[in-house]
Amino acid sequence: MKKFIFTIATIATLAGCKKSELDLGPFDQIETGKAFTTQADVTLAVNGMYSGLRGTYANSTWNIMADALADNLILSTSGRQTLTNFSEWRYNGNTSISFITSAYGVIRRANAILENIDKFPAGAFKDNAKAEALAVRAWQYFDIARYYAKTYVNATNTDSVAPYVTSTASDIMPSKEPVRQFYDKIAADLVAAEPLIAVNNGAGRINRAAVQGLLSRLYLYMGDYAKTIASANAALGTTPVLPALADVARVWRDETTNGVLFKVLNTTLDNINTPGVNYYQITSGNIRSEYVVEYNLRQAFTPTDVRSAAYITTSPYNGVQQNHVIKYAGRTGGILGVLDIKLLRTAEVLLNRAEAHLRSGNGTLALADLNLLRSQRYTDYQPLVGLTNDQILTEILRQRRLELAFEGDRFFDLKRLNLPINRDGTKGDRADGTGTTYLFLNMANTDHRFQLPYPSAETNFNTNFKQNPGY
Amino acid sequence: MRKFVLLCCSFLIGLAAIAQNRTITGRVVDRDNNKVPNASVLVKGTNVGTSANADGQFSLSVAATAKTLVISAVGYTDRELNLTANTNYTIQIDPADKSLDEVVVVGYQSVKKRDLNGSISVIDNKEIAQKPISNFTQLLQGKSAGLQVIGQSGQPGQSGYMRIRGTGSINASSEPLIMVDGIAVTSTAFGLINPNDIENVSVLKDASAAAIYGARAGNGVIVVTTKRGKSGKPELRYSFQHGFVGLQPLNNVKLMDARQKLKYEYDAGVVNAIADSMIRNRITSGAFPAGSTLFNITAQQREDLWSLMESRGAGDWKKYYLQDGYTDQHEVALTGSSDKVRYYLSLNKFNEKGLMYMSRRDRTGGRFNIEYQAYEWLKTGVNLGVTHSTEYQNRELNNVQSPWRAYFTSNPYEPLYMPNGTYNLTFQGFSALEGQEKNTFFLDRIATFATLYAEAKPLKSLTLKTQLAMNYNTAKSESYLQPGSNLAAILGYSQKSDAGNQDFQYVATNTASWNKTINGEHNIDVLAGQEFTKRSFYSYQLAGNSMPSSTVTTIENAAQVQTATTSRSQFSIISYFGSVGYDWKKTYGVKLSARTDGSSRFGSNNRFSNFWAASAWWNIKKEAFMDKLSYISDLRLRSSVGTSGNVPNQFYGSLGTYALSSSYNQLPAAVPNQLANPDLTWEKNFNYDIGLEFGLFNNRITGTFDYYHRTTKDLLFPKNVSQATGFTSVLSNVGSVVNKGFEVSLSGDVIRKKDLNWNISFNYSQNDNKVTQLVSPDLPSTSNTRLTVGQELNTYFMVRWAGINPANGRNRYYRPDGSITETYSLNDQVMLEGKSPLAKFFGSINSNLRYKSFDLSLQFYYNGGNYIYNQMYRNAVGDGGNASSLAINQYTDALNYWTKPGDVVANPSITDASQKVNLASDKFLEKGDYITLRDVVIGYTLPSSITRKLGIAGFRFYVQGTNLWMGTKFRGTPEVGFPNRESGAATFSQPGQLTLYSYPTARTITVGLDIKF
Repeated sequence: MKKFIFTIATIATLAGCKKSELDLGPFDQIETGKAFTTQADVTLAVNGMYSGLRGTYANSTWNIMADALADNLILSTSGRQTLTNFSEWRYNGNTSISFITSAYGVIRRANAILENIDKFPAGAFKDNAKAEALAVRAWQYFDIARYYAKTYVNATNTDSVAPYVTSTASDIMPSKEPVRQFYDKIAADLVAAEPLIAVNNGAGRINRAAVQGLLSRLYLYMGDYAKTIASANAALGTTPVLPALADVARVWRDETTNGVLFKVLNTTLDNINTPGVNYYQITSGNIRSEYVVEYNLRQAFTPTDVRSAAYITTSPYNGVQQNHVIKYAGRTGGILGVLDIKLLRTAEVLLNRAEAHLRSGNGTLALADLNLLRSQRYTDYQPLVGLTNDQILTEILRQRRLELAFEGDRFFDLKRLNLPINRDGTKGDRADGTGTTYLFLNMANTDHRFQLPYPSAETNFNTNFKQNPGY
Repeated sequence: MRKFVLLCCSFLIGLAAIAQNRTITGRVVDRDNNKVPNASVLVKGTNVGTSANADGQFSLSVAATAKTLVISAVGYTDRELNLTANTNYTIQIDPADKSLDEVVVVGYQSVKKRDLNGSISVIDNKEIAQKPISNFTQLLQGKSAGLQVIGQSGQPGQSGYMRIRGTGSINASSEPLIMVDGIAVTSTAFGLINPNDIENVSVLKDASAAAIYGARAGNGVIVVTTKRGKSGKPELRYSFQHGFVGLQPLNNVKLMDARQKLKYEYDAGVVNAIADSMIRNRITSGAFPAGSTLFNITAQQREDLWSLMESRGAGDWKKYYLQDGYTDQHEVALTGSSDKVRYYLSLNKFNEKGLMYMSRRDRTGGRFNIEYQAYEWLKTGVNLGVTHSTEYQNRELNNVQSPWRAYFTSNPYEPLYMPNGTYNLTFQGFSALEGQEKNTFFLDRIATFATLYAEAKPLKSLTLKTQLAMNYNTAKSESYLQPGSNLAAILGYSQKSDAGNQDFQYVATNTASWNKTINGEHNIDVLAGQEFTKRSFYSYQLAGNSMPSSTVTTIENAAQVQTATTSRSQFSIISYFGSVGYDWKKTYGVKLSARTDGSSRFGSNNRFSNFWAASAWWNIKKEAFMDKLSYISDLRLRSSVGTSGNVPNQFYGSLGTYALSSSYNQLPAAVPNQLANPDLTWEKNFNYDIGLEFGLFNNRITGTFDYYHRTTKDLLFPKNVSQATGFTSVLSNVGSVVNKGFEVSLSGDVIRKKDLNWNISFNYSQNDNKVTQLVSPDLPSTSNTRLTVGQELNTYFMVRWAGINPANGRNRYYRPDGSITETYSLNDQVMLEGKSPLAKFFGSINSNLRYKSFDLSLQFYYNGGNYIYNQMYRNAVGDGGNASSLAINQYTDALNYWTKPGDVVANPSITDASQKVNLASDKFLEKGDYITLRDVVIGYTLPSSITRKLGIAGFRFYVQGTNLWMGTKFRGTPEVGFPNRESGAATFSQPGQLTLYSYPTARTITVGLDIKF
C-alpha cells in the first residue's frame, strides 16, 4: 500500500508544472512600449534626458578636453599622465573620445519624447516637454559638430558631419550629413523650441533664455551676426545679469546661479567627481594636477582680475610650485570635484554679442559689451576707450579665452576662428615657467586633427558613417 | 611480445594434444605470492570446474581438448589461463580494479564505471584531494583530455575558466554546466566546495552524455557527486597540511635596478623630480651654482647624486608589496555504514595567507551526507554541505591602488618611507601599501548545498526517484575608505560601504527508470523525468559618507547616507526529458535521449526548445574473435550525435526596456535601457564524435582516442547597431562557430612489481576553432580583436610592427599591402590570421612512482597555440618614452634602444619626441606557449605492519610542490586569465587576451599528513 501511494504521488508530480511559471519580468525596468502611458511618464522621460546630459558633460572629459587639446593647459609631469593621447594629439579611431556615443544616447531620449508627445493633450505641459526635447537634442548635435566637424564658416559643401537622427528606429545605418545642413537643422530645432519652452523650468533645466543664448552661440559659429545679436538680446534682456565681482568665485562653488543660463546638475548624492578629477586630486594635502595652467595664460590673468583667484591657485606639489585650475574644486565643505556643470553663461552670450556687433561693423556697441563684462571682472576696472576695431576684436577674443578658460571652449574657438594651435615651447609646467615643456607644439589650422576621429567601432560597422579624413 | 609467443606456442601445443582427460593441479596466488583461498576454477565454455581450497590449491580433471581455464575469486579480476603441456601451474590473479565497480552519476542515472559508454572522463577523488589550492575548479586542470581549465588569476580561492572541447560562445557563457548532487551551480559556488568531500567528477563531453541536460549543456556538463558513506565499519580520518607560499618568478623579464633606471631617464632627457629637488637644495646651500640641472653638472656630481638616491631607495619593492604567505588545512572526516544507514561527515578548515600584502582567505566548511534504507524498497537521504569563506581582497586593477601594479611601477630609487615615517607616495602619488592597510575590502560568502531525495523500487525493475536540490549563496562585502587615508583625502570623503547578494535556487526533479534484462541478453533501460528550476537573486548596496574615526567601521556611524539601493531578478526553467537504452549482451548498445526545456529568458515565441541525441557503442572485446587476442584486454568503439543549447547571460535579453533606476536632481527618471529583440533564441549545438578505448596486457596500457566536431549556431552576441540610434548594440544571434579536434589519453604501467610501481600517463587535446557564418562579414569583438568568417573567435586585429629603422631609430609598421611606413595609422590594422587568445592544444603528463612505502608523483601541464596581448610588457618597455612611461620602472629590455645609425635594436630612439608614444601594435602580441611542473608530491605511507602495532588504520606523510618550474618564451607569466579582477573580469569574457596586473601566481611548498583510525 505504501509502495502504491509513493508511486502514485511521484507520477502525479511528474505530470508537470504550469507554463506560467516562465512568465518572469524585470523588477527595475518597464517595456519600451509602456514607457509613455501617462503624463507623469513624460516627466520621467524628461528627467531621464537631463540625467543623460549629466553623463555627457559631468561624467566625462568635457570640462577639460577643449583646454587640454589647445594651449590653455600643459601636462604636469608629476600628474597621472591622463589624457596624453589628446594633449599630445595622438588620438585615433580606437582612442578617441566617446562623446558622440553618449550624446546619441541622450538624443534618443529626446527623440522618444518627440515621437510620443503628440499623444498628450495640447497645453503648456506638452509644449514645454516638446521644446525641452528639441533643445536638448540641438545642444548635443551642436557639441558633436564642435568636436568632430569643421565649423559652418570653414566647411565646404563636401565636408560632412555625423548624421542628424530624429527617430528612435533601431535598424538604421545613417550616412553623414553636410556640415551646413547639419547646422541648419540645429538652428531649426532651437527656433522651434524657443516659443514653446517655459521661461523658467527651474534649476538644471533648459529655459527660454538658455535656448536664446545657445542660438547666439550657434549663429556666431554660422557667421550670422544679425541673428547672433538678436538672440543674444533676447537671452540677456534689457539689463544683462552678470555676477557681480564678488559672485564670480561663488558661481564655481554653486552658491549662486547669477549669470548661469543653463547648468547640468550634479548633486552631492550623484557624487560625480569627474569634473574635479579631470584636473587634479589632493595627495597628502597638496594639489596634484594632471594639467596646469599654461604659463602665458597665467600671466594674462592679472592680479586685479577676480577670475584669477576664482580659477587658479598656485601651490607646491613635490616641492614644486605649479598653477592649478580650481574652477572645479567643488562646493564649500563638499566633496572635491562634485559640482554642477555650467554649459551656458551670460558672460559668453555677452561676448557673442560683442563679437557680432564688431563683425557687423559696430565697434561702439561691441566696446560697450566688452566694458560691461570687464566692469564685473576687474577690481580696478577702467573702461577701455578709443580702441580700433582690430584692438576691440583682439580684446574680445582675449576676454573670451580668459572668461571661458577651463570650461571647454578654447579648442573650439580656435577652430571657429580658423586659427592654428601654437604652443610656447619655451615654457614648462612650473609656476615660474620652467619645468617640462610641451612635447608637441604646433597644429596647423588645416590639420585633420582639428576634427576629432569618430569611434572606429561605429565607422567600421556602419560604413555609411565615414571616418573623418586623415585617420 | 612474450605473451604473443606464449599464445602461439599454446596454439601449436593445443593442435598436438590427443583427445583424452588429464588432471591439472595448481595453486592460486595474488601478486605478492600470497595464497588466495576458495577461488573457482572452470574450464572455459563448460561447467566443468572446482573450487580451490583454503590454501589456494586445486586439482581438476579436464578433457584433453580443454584449452583454457577461467579462475575467479571474490575481489579479484577473472584470469584466463591457457593450458600447456604442463599439468601444474601457479596462477597469479590480480585484485579487481574496484574503481570500475564504482558508481558515477551521468545524466540523471547512476552507472558503473565499467559500463560507461560515452565520452565521459571520470576524475576520482584521489586526483583532487589534499592539494594546497582552495578553489576546486583549478584542481581539474590537466585531469581530463578535452577539459581546459585556465586560472582566472593567482588570487586565493579564485575560480578557473573551464572550457570543454573548445570555446563555443562569445557573449553567452562558455562555461560548462556544473551539476552538484543534482543542482546547477555557478563556478563561484562550486569553488567553495571542499575538494576532499568530492567522490568523483564526471566530465560529459559528447553529445549523447550531455544532451539529457538540454538547454544548458551546450558547453558540456560537469557532474559532481559528493561522498557517500563507505560500506563497513567507521573510518575516522584526520588530515593536516601546511604550505609555504611564495611568488612564482616571472619569466624572461627583469625590472631595472636603481642605476639602470636613473641612467635610462638621463639618456632620455627626463627631469627626475628627486634629483631635481636635491640639486635645488644644493643650489640653496651654495654647493652647486645657480642654474645647475642634472644635465649640466659634472659627471662626478651626477654619479654622487645617483649613489645617494640609490642608497635611500627601496630597491626591490617586491619585499614590500608581497608577503610570505602560507596555507593551513585541517580536516576531520568520518565515514561508514550500518545495515540501514550510510553516513559521511566532514569538517574542514583552510586558512590561506596570500602572496600579496594583506591578502588572506579563510574557509570553513562541513558536510553531512546520510542515506537511510527505510524499507527494503525505499531509501531516503540528504546531502548537506555548508561552507563559509571570508577573505581580504587586494585591489586588483590597472591603477595606482593595485599593489601588484605598484610593484612594476615603483622606481627602485624611490624610498619606502618619507622622513616623517609615513609611506612614500612615490611618483605614482599613492602608496598601495597604505591603501591596502586603510582602504580594506572584506568579502564574506556562505554557500549552502542541500539535496534531499527518496528513491523507491515498487517493482524490481522500476525505480522512482524524487529529489529536491537547493543551493543558497550569500555574499557580503564591506569596503572601507578610512578617514585619514590618502584615498579619502584624494576623493574628499571617507566612506563605508556594504554590499551583498542572496542567491537562492531550487531544483525539483522526478524521474522514473525501468531496467530489465530479458533472456540474459537483452538489456533495456528507460528513463523519464521532469524538472523545475527557479533561481532568485536579491542584492543591496549601502554606503555612508563622513565617518567620524577609523576605529568605527559600521555605516550607522556615517554622518550622511550616500547610497541605499536594492535590486532583484529571477529566472525559471521547466524541463521534460527521457532516454531509452538497449544493449545486447553488453556487446552492442544504442541509446536515444531527448529533452524539452522552457526558459523564462526568452519571449513566449521562443520559450521552448527540443534537444535530442543518439549514440551507439560496440564492445569489441566481447566478440568471440577477440578471444585469441588475449593481450588485448579491452577494446570499445563508440560514437554519438546530438544537440544541446546555451542560454544568454541576460535574464530579460529579448525585451526592449526603459530603466527606472536613475534620477536627475533627486527626481526619478526613465532611461532607455536596451533594444528589443523578439527573435532572440538559444545558442544551439550540433555535435558528433567517435571514440575508441583500449586496454592492453591486462590493462597495463590503456588509452582513449576521441574525435569530435561541434557546431554552435545562433551565437549570442551584442551585435552592433549604429551608435546614431543611441545604443551601441542589441543582443542577437549572430553566427556559427565550429570547434573540432581530437583528444588522446594514454596510460601505462612501466613497472608493475610487488614493491615497485611506475605509471606514466599522458593526455593531449587539440582544438581548431573557426567562425563559419556571421551576420556581417566581420564584427569587432574588442578594440583589438574581431570575429570574421574563416577565422578563430576573437582573432587579433592590429597594426603590424616592422621593427626599428636602423637608419633613424624610428618605429616602422606594415601597411596592409606589406610595404613599410613610419607613420602609424589604424587603417593599417589587419587580421592576424591564426592568432587569437584561444589555445590550440593543451594537456598534461603525469608520472606516479611507488617504491615500497614511498611514492613520488609529478604532473606537468602544457598549453600552447594561443596569443596574448602583453600590455604589462608594453608599459614596462615604454619606448623610452613620454613622461608616463618614465615615471614608472621599466624592464631591462627597454635598455635595448636605438642610439646611432646602424643599430639593429628592439626599441626606438629615446630622444626622438615622435617616438615617445609607445603605440599599440603586434610588437606586444606574444605566443602563450608554456609547460609547467604543476605538482610534485613525495609521500611516505607507514606499512600496515607498523600501523597495526600503533593501533591506527593508516598514516601517510608527504611533501608537495606546486608551480616549481616553468618553461616558456613569454615575457612575464603566460598563464593569463582575466586582465585583472576589477576592470577586466566582466568585459573580457574570453580568458587570456590581455595582461594587466592580475594577481600573480604562487609557488607553494606544502607538507602534510593523513591519519586514519
